[in-house]
Parts: sequence; C-alpha cells; structure tokens
Amino acid sequence: MRWCAAAIRCSRSITIIALSTAAGVAQTPTPAAPFTPTGATANFAPNDPPGEWHRQAHDYANTRYSTLADITPDNVGQLRVAWTFSDGTQYGHEGAPLVVGDTMFLVTPFPNVAYALDLSKPGSPIKWSFAPDPTPMAIGKACCDAVIRGWAYANGKLIYNILDGHTVAVDANTGKEVWRIKMSNVATGATMTMPVMVVGNKLIAGNSGGEMGAHGWAAALDVDTGKELWRAYSTGPDDQVKIGADFKPFYSWMRGTNLGVTTWPDDAWRHGGGTVWGWVSYDPQLNLVYYGTANPSPRVPAQRPGLNLWTSAVFARDADTGMAKWAYQFTPHDQWDYDGVNENVLIDVPIGGRMRKALVQFNRNGFAYTIDRETGEVLVAQPFGYLNWASSVDMKTGQPVINPDKEPKPNVKFENICPTDIGVKDWEPSAFSPRTGLLYAATNNVCMDLIDHEVGFIAGTPYDGMEMKRHPGPGGNWGEFIAWDPVHGKKVWGIKEQFMTMSGVLATASDLVFYGTVDGWFRAVNARTGDILWSQKLGSGVLGAPMTYKGPDGRQYIAVASGVGGAAMVSAKEPGFPPRGNTLYVFSINGDSLASGPGMKATQAGAAAIIPEPANTIPR
Amino acid sequence: MPQRRIFGVMAMMAIAVPAWSAPAPEGPAALVPLGDTAGSSELRLPGTLTNPFEGQPAAVTEGRRLFTKMNCAGCHNYDGSGGMGPDLTDHYWRYGGTPVAVFKTLWEGRPQGMPAWSGALPPDELWKLVTFIQSLGGMYPAPDYYGQRQGDNPHDLVAPEVAAEDAASATPPAPKP
Repeated sequence: MRWCAAAIRCSRSITIIALSTAAGVAQTPTPAAPFTPTGATANFAPNDPPGEWHRQAHDYANTRYSTLADITPDNVGQLRVAWTFSDGTQYGHEGAPLVVGDTMFLVTPFPNVAYALDLSKPGSPIKWSFAPDPTPMAIGKACCDAVIRGWAYANGKLIYNILDGHTVAVDANTGKEVWRIKMSNVATGATMTMPVMVVGNKLIAGNSGGEMGAHGWAAALDVDTGKELWRAYSTGPDDQVKIGADFKPFYSWMRGTNLGVTTWPDDAWRHGGGTVWGWVSYDPQLNLVYYGTANPSPRVPAQRPGLNLWTSAVFARDADTGMAKWAYQFTPHDQWDYDGVNENVLIDVPIGGRMRKALVQFNRNGFAYTIDRETGEVLVAQPFGYLNWASSVDMKTGQPVINPDKEPKPNVKFENICPTDIGVKDWEPSAFSPRTGLLYAATNNVCMDLIDHEVGFIAGTPYDGMEMKRHPGPGGNWGEFIAWDPVHGKKVWGIKEQFMTMSGVLATASDLVFYGTVDGWFRAVNARTGDILWSQKLGSGVLGAPMTYKGPDGRQYIAVASGVGGAAMVSAKEPGFPPRGNTLYVFSINGDSLASGPGMKATQAGAAAIIPEPANTIPR
Repeated sequence: MPQRRIFGVMAMMAIAVPAWSAPAPEGPAALVPLGDTAGSSELRLPGTLTNPFEGQPAAVTEGRRLFTKMNCAGCHNYDGSGGMGPDLTDHYWRYGGTPVAVFKTLWEGRPQGMPAWSGALPPDELWKLVTFIQSLGGMYPAPDYYGQRQGDNPHDLVAPEVAAEDAASATPPAPKP
C-alpha cells in the first residue's frame, strides 16, 4: 500500500490491487523482480550498461527504463540546461541520442548527418561528423516528414538507415564509412525511417512507404559486413513472407496457405503496403524478434476486399532464419490507416494465475494489447483513449467489433471517426517501469472527417485516397500523457495536454518519467501519482525520445531533442504551434557539467559541423 | 499522337520559336529557364507565356479531375493546401508561380520528389492541371513572371529609381542583323 500512501489520486490504484487479489494471482514474480502493484515486470538482461545508452530503447525489451536514480522527485525541480547542440536541419527530430563511453552519437533528419560528440571535454565538442549525402528525391517520397526515428551502436559502429533507402555503418571512433547497402529504390516511393535494431551480430531493418504502395519488408543484415541475411515481406506468398511449418498463429482465421495473397484481390498484395517503419524488440530466451507492420495500401478499403494479411499486424520471427513463429493482425482489413508498427514492450505479467511472457502494444487503433509473446494469444485488449470505430475486441477471435457507421465508402463523407489516421498513439515509444509495473505513453485525442477517393497505382506517387480533416476529440485536448496498467487494461492516471503529445518516454529508477509536448514543454512527472514535478519550455516541439546517461564527471544527465515535425504537423495550424527546430537539450541538476565554474572553457573539437542545405553556402 | 496537339498549343501562344532551337515536345516552354539568365536579357525568353486554357471552367473541372486521378492530391492534399508536397494555395513558389513556370514543373519534375509527368500526360492535360492550380488563387499571372522571380508582389510599392530601371529593361533589345 506504500504505492498509495501519498496521494488521493491513488484511489484507482487501490482498486487495481484489489483486482489483482481477486483475480487470484497465485504466483508472485520471480524473486529477482521487485513486487509491483500490477505484478508486471520485465527481463532486462542483456541491456546497455546502466550509465550508457547503446540502442534506442536501452534494452531488447524496449522498456526505456534506466536504473540511474541521482535525479529524484526531490531534486528534479533544480533540473537546468547544462549544454545544447543544434544540428541545423529542419525536419522532425524523433530519435534519442546514444551514449557509449565518453561519446554521444546523434543522427540528424534528412540529410541524415551523423555526429559524435566528446562528452569528456567542456561543451561536448564535435569529435567527428559524417555525411551520407542522400538524394533529395527522398524528401518528397517520405509520407510524414523527412525524419529518422533512431540509430544504433554495435561492434564499434554507428548504424542507421538513410531516408533514400540505404543502410550505412560508420566507424564509431573515426566517423569513416565501414559499409553501405542499398535496400530499396526510392523512386518507387520506398524510404527508410526506422531505427535499426541490433540483435547479437545481426541488425533488423525495415522500409517505409505504405502511403506510396511500397511492398513492406523487414530484413536482417550482418553487423560487420552489411550483407543481407534474410528478408521477409509482409504480403505475398508464404515463401516471400517466410511462413513455413513452424508458423502457428493463435487464431484459426490466420491459419492457411498463402494468405498474404488470397486475402487480397488479384495481385493487389504486390503494392499492398505493410511496411515496417517502427520498432523491433527481441526476446533472447525465445530467440524471437517482434515487430509490427503498417497499413494496407491503398488506404481506400473498397479497393482491396479481404483481410489484407499481413498488414496492420505483429510478427514474431526466429532471429536467425527470419521464419515466422506467429502473427496477429490487430486491425483486419484496416479501413482507417491504423498501422501496427508501434513498439512492442516485452514484459512478464500475472494473468490467469501464472506469469505470462507478454508483449504490450499501444496500437494506433486505440486498443492497448497485452499479448502472450510465445503464442500470439491476446490476453488483454482495452481502449487507452477515445475511439469509436469499434466497441471492443472479441476475446474469442481476437478481432475488433467494428461500428458499421464508421466504415468508409468511396465519395461519401464520414464525420467524426475516432481516432484519426495517426491513431490514439502513433510511433512515439512508451516506457515501462518495473518499480510501478506500469507503462507510460504519450497519446493523442484526434478524430477525423473522412472522404475516401479511389486511386490508381502510379509508381512514385501516393497510393492513398484518404481526404481527411482532423480535429481534437471529446474534451478538446489534442494530447494526453497516460500511465497504463497492462495486466488489467486500465488507465491509472492521465495528464491532458492542450497540444499533441508525440515524444518518447523515459522512466527511471527514482520513479520519474519524462516526456515532451508538441508545443515544446518538457516535463518530469512522478511515476506513481502523475504529479508534474518540473517543466521547461524548449525552443521547438518535442518529438524526440528522452534518455539519461552518466557523464565522465559522474553526473546523471537527461537529454532530449527539440524539433517539431512528423505527424505532429497535422496540428500545425493551431495557435501556439511552435516553429521548427533542431536542438538537443542536455539537463543536469543546477545545469552543472564539465563546463561549470570559473575559468576559460576551450573547445577542442575533432571536426566541423556539416551544414545542410539550403543554408550550406559559404560567404566570399 | 502528341505532335499535332503540341503544335496546336504553340500556335495558340503565337510565340515565335527562335530559329536556332529545334521544336521541343513541350513547346516554347522548353525555352523558359528554371533559373535566372546570366549575361542576357530575360525578355528574350517566353517566360510570360499564358496558359492556353486560362480561366476556362471546363479546364478547371478537368484539371481538378486529373489532380485527383494522377495522385497529385496524395501529396498536395485534395484542396491543394499541401502535405507531403508543398502548399499550392499560398504565394510561395520554390520553382516559380506563373503559368509557364508551373507547367514546366509538371513537365520536368523537380528534385525533391516531384515526378515528371511528360511521359504520362500530353501538354494539354498539364495545362489543364495548371488551370486548376490557378483556380486555387496562389499563383501569379503570366505578366508577373519576371517580377515574381525578383520577389515582387502585385501590391508592392516600387522605388522610383527601380521603376525606371525596370522600364528600361522592359524594352526589347534590337534584333541582331
């Protein structure tokens, strides 16, 4: 009950504890895991060193949880800017910086310049810079701003996708290119925006371009050579989807042969979307990678009768072979652009009297799913925000119960479908704290008026057809930051925000969670009560994922990128919407850093910045 | 197929193609440069070409139909207000906002993902697309071709010294013998 001693808000939490007891949680979590009110915990091993951050989510499980605890609810009010870094690019900044040893790694949005910053010197000067020089054509082929959602460090290399459909590995010490591979043809509308996920000696990458009719895939590359090891498409015949004898979906409607072809009219699967532009998780014990697939193409459902497998779904695949183990389609025959690419957070939950290995996904369709990650069985599916396209998820079939009034038809105006295409939550990744057993997510409350237009496939142009007018949902607030109980499928608390909330989330062992808003507020919140303990207005909107690290000086820092863009631009006409920006903010208690105190602080940099277009001219 | 139609467009524009230039499939618009012109009078170039379908309601309707059918709306939005691609209703034009400049953008494509439509649509259809885009209200009239390249708005005041300069340069150079 310590959980609730402090705050009145906890009345809901008391209910949860009562529910847990009533449900007869027969087994307490493993001794190593702390007791939490929901009973949920996670397996964090292996993960990044406590003071460092090597991959976007800090661990294979995608928790974004850090054991650092020097910044606490008591001193977080003294959080101040320690230093900043502006990269000069103007698209949405959606990733988290990485810290390896004394070096911080950043990659900018288009033109995807990489920087290494030396944290051991005052002001964190540039150690090296790297320009992959992508083609500007990619800017106009990317649906949702020329963004990148992250990058990864592994085996002495910084590895990331370039918007124009290449993947590159850069020597982390020198900034020299190690290998580079063309993964898709940007002229067809396929781009790459997701962060690669390193699993052992392999990395998993996927494509973007569902709005352009791209054929979605995920692929594994060798970390040291860039050689492609396997590629699995999201639609098409079983051999292309890498479905074989081991494939055992939990629900019967997803069993059969070549369903990636037969659930589409004619050859529509060839331009059927199902791109892989979100996050990858990995369970080292099961040796399975998990990732979601995006919307079916075109977005007009009348043109593709059928389930449209395997779009708007999640795959569990053998990391070595790529062969599918199971899949689950969240939104069969998706009619609203409810991609299934959001992060799958791997946690263990007490359900049905035993601990289940689960994954949690806050789907764009507005349901938060807790799914058995060994079998694909849906254990919990409850709305985590306002939606009206469906009433519930049928727990016998795993299928949503659809509201027929909200099923679009060509050339007919449908008012107030909730959520809009970008969902109750988009790609912005949530965090999980094993101390509270809760997930924390930045969500949105946006609905749409929709008219579908039939479209033809013209390579290099949108294969889309949705004419939308987006507006806030009930209550008028565009965003809400929530704490979610994944065992009982309940919101524990929420902070309504006037603007959209599209940042990643960081949870720390001192029971703080950090998130930002589209109008530029960066906040620290009490993880148990939802009380806002500290806020600062940054130069632009916050889409970046906050992270934390321990500097060479032993201090705990919090870092987050400020630079609005991406899907947040759907609200760009709102009064108060901020300008674009490109600044990484790094905070510490009192703003202290290596540069604090008296004395001259010299910059001892190893390289100059790379100045992106259109401001890359030099005065004569 | 396109030959007759192209020459039809050229005749309608009544612009003389310089003798040194081979007829280009897009007509005189081929002579309009994307950038400004070094060392030469801009007025030699047919930058002020008008849209042969300008103001014709049927062309606006056809252009609107093509705007949806050819997936232009997927990037620029159904009302032209922009999305993946630029807003076509405002007055900012990266590659020029007069009819021939927009025609050339459609014909040739542009480097940031705007495809070239010369292989998919004949010039008349592209001009009808221009007519539709003109109906959105953000484009500049053809005579503003030079002024718009210099950042002028139709309602601008002009300093007298600059007005005199503009008037002098508006006199076509004498033809060379």
